[in-house]
Amino acid sequence: MRRRQPSGPVEATPDGLYVLNLGDDERKSFNHFLDELEALLNNKVDDGRLRRLFPTAYHNDATHDAEYQRLMRSELLQSKQTAIDISRRVIASHEALTEGDLLQFMQTINALRLVLGTLLDVAENDEAQEIVNDDDPNSYQIQLYAYLGWFLEWIVDALQEGHN
Amino acid sequence: MSPNVIPAEQPVIADEPATSDAVDIDRPWIVIVWNDPINLMSYVTFVLQKLFGYSNEKATELMLDVHQKGRAVVANGPRERAELDVYRLHDHGLWATMQQDS
Repeated sequence: MRRRQPSGPVEATPDGLYVLNLGDDERKSFNHFLDELEALLNNKVDDGRLRRLFPTAYHNDATHDAEYQRLMRSELLQSKQTAIDISRRVIASHEALTEGDLLQFMQTINALRLVLGTLLDVAENDEAQEIVNDDDPNSYQIQLYAYLGWFLEWIVDALQEGHN
Repeated sequence: MSPNVIPAEQPVIADEPATSDAVDIDRPWIVIVWNDPINLMSYVTFVLQKLFGYSNEKATELMLDVHQKGRAVVANGPRERAELDVYRLHDHGLWATMQQDS
């Protein structure tokens, strides 16, 4: 397993908390991404970009799946809204984070990646650094997708270290 | 029928469920995680550890099954339990489905 460098964006502390090393510009950008995700989630029209956030539950069983979606979709939506709210608090704070708060932030970052990956139609073995091209109209989203993946790796690493 | 004509509502007699659709309560349900090109391998491993209490080794083995074989059974049990597990996996952004064990 890769060893973390001391200059990473997320670090586990010896007392079981986590430190987020983000500059003001990064915090501002994250707030913007959260606003966009929240707006997308609150859009009442089914949006194809959200399909990975609300996947099918029953394989080849439309009837049971419809029942699952009827019962659980609002639960999933509420859970994502709670994670966004906590993530806003995480980004605004310069204090050390609890594991619970970092986990909610992690899930929100992953939700952003799922939306971006769906939008970009990411396929198996796509490497963002290989497909990025400044002339590509999606180059901003591709770089953001790669950045969120890098950031998520650090969060997972920090959480694993915090458990060891 | 003209598309502008709204038919009066008629009582609907529900069909009996077909035998093939009936749920066999004795057969356990399995929870499957499917491969997807977006979720990070490290993230999937961590989520499996967190949700099911698997060791890092076991979670890594399951993650590699997902990545290399396209799917892995990560849990099994009664339907309600499986549905809760699927929900928790969906809440973490993993592509999970459930079905009765064959």
